[in-house]
Amino acid sequence: MADVVTRQADQDSLQDVVARYPEVPRLIVIKTDVQRRGVFYTDRALSVLDESLHQVTGTHIFGARDGQIEARPESLLLRDGSSIITTPTPLEQNPYTVDRIDGKLWLVDAGEPVEEVDYWPAPDFYALTSSSGIPMKNIVSARPQRLNIFPYRYCTFWNNGKGCTFCDIVCQLKKGKEELQIPARLNPVEVGEVVREALREPGRFSAVFLTSGSITSGREPFDDEVDYYIEILEEVGKNFRTKKYPSQIIGTAFNERQLERLYKETGLMSYTADIEVLNEDLFNRHCPGKAEWIGYREWKRRLVAAVDIFGPGRVNTGLVAGIELAKPYGFRSEDEALKRVLEEAEELASQGVGTVFIVWSPRPDTPLGDQKNASLDYYIRLAQGLHDLRVKYRLPIGYDDYRHCGNHPDSDLSRLLPY
Amino acid sequence: MPKLSPEILHLLDQSNTTKIVATTDEFGKPYAIASPYLHAGPEGELVHLELLEKSATNRNLLRSLWFDKKVSVTLVAADGSNYVIQGRPVKALISGPIFRRHYQDVRLLLGDADLAAVWLIEPEEVVNETYAVQKLEEEERFPFSVHLDRLAV
Repeated sequence: MADVVTRQADQDSLQDVVARYPEVPRLIVIKTDVQRRGVFYTDRALSVLDESLHQVTGTHIFGARDGQIEARPESLLLRDGSSIITTPTPLEQNPYTVDRIDGKLWLVDAGEPVEEVDYWPAPDFYALTSSSGIPMKNIVSARPQRLNIFPYRYCTFWNNGKGCTFCDIVCQLKKGKEELQIPARLNPVEVGEVVREALREPGRFSAVFLTSGSITSGREPFDDEVDYYIEILEEVGKNFRTKKYPSQIIGTAFNERQLERLYKETGLMSYTADIEVLNEDLFNRHCPGKAEWIGYREWKRRLVAAVDIFGPGRVNTGLVAGIELAKPYGFRSEDEALKRVLEEAEELASQGVGTVFIVWSPRPDTPLGDQKNASLDYYIRLAQGLHDLRVKYRLPIGYDDYRHCGNHPDSDLSRLLPY
Repeated sequence: MPKLSPEILHLLDQSNTTKIVATTDEFGKPYAIASPYLHAGPEGELVHLELLEKSATNRNLLRSLWFDKKVSVTLVAADGSNYVIQGRPVKALISGPIFRRHYQDVRLLLGDADLAAVWLIEPEEVVNETYAVQKLEEEERFPFSVHLDRLAV
């Protein structure tokens, strides 16, 4: 395959892309570009960061682009209520700057203010400690409307060196354990305790979200992972008067028996198993652990099987968009990548499985850490393409939208849909 | 952003004022709804509390914010005086202390209700649509529009 990738319109400015796609909101183009390029916080911007008011970086399961762990804004809110999930990025990589201008926070590009932003508000429970003395924010973290639970911060695909090539979960685990005293494995009862406390804050949270590294062990592979999720969800569920509550899991692609257990034994309402890249050869190269234990075709088959259990519009898969172009094995051009990715996404959509993407941000502690992600033009076309599939196959995305996740430009576009 | 006059602020403050928010969809189809909790914000913006995430109005407000389109707000006082305010939605709050306060207010008023977003609308133009005011203006500016029988001896 090519060792030089044609990144269409790589030199486009934000304004060029906004003008080229008038049907895509400027705010979504901005959000996507900020995710693509990262941010750098000026001292002026950091001077108004107040841990009692704002969320600072907490229990990240993945690391920052600059490789640092220190108290910085968790992320940013845009005027339309959506979030930009982004991480601090070294200045030499040309990130957006977050600066304070006339008392307000702005995204700035090349010295020009682009858009006003806010820091994420801190939830009440961030100031509290659990009954065992652990800061609650080290057990459960928050997005503006979502409770994040990262039960297990290790991925056993790494045991034989087959972790995903873009992932720094294990490296981040070590940093988190040493520098932040975050437990590697959460106590389910303690998770339930923190969720109970979080729910005391009126109007703050609209979803519970779980994800962890894959756990291959068990009577059947991944049974231990499923058992652990069930244990956590049972404790979380004790805080609700309804059996089901708005919730999402990003787990491994489980078999039908495991999926049935997750659905029937817990309050879980939606299911995501990230395939990461929609191409069998690239999946095998970038996700060797997933390929070894499950395989590309079986991963997709299990996603489709999950629709029968969780229901249409309640199952999706995620892409780390941009790795399909990573050298030396990636697609030769963004046009080819887009065509091939959307073809496979349509095959899934036609069977009730949605696809969302996050913008790949190359992280320093990964094999692909020195590469570039795709062009802004590519990400906007991908967002439109995935949104169009959602419309064509009438797939709701309410469990993974701006309110419940905030990390997917494509599901932001779906906010205007009546379903 | 023009400052809202004391009359408008007074109307916004009255519980017996009828408050209407009108938006349009992607095809320009208008959609007007009562907005009983509409009020003035601290910086002179109009604050609309949208209870439902997937309502036509919530989606239309978002579309207006995204694509820089205007919306219209009508205030009708108990005595019949009324104003039309055109403006632009500039911000949707879904989290934070302002959202939380309104969420609690809504639940106090309605019981088991939800709040999807607190919309901030910047007023741009205010028209006094009160009949007596408009009649006077029309008669001055358009003297040929009158029916003659009104002028007959």
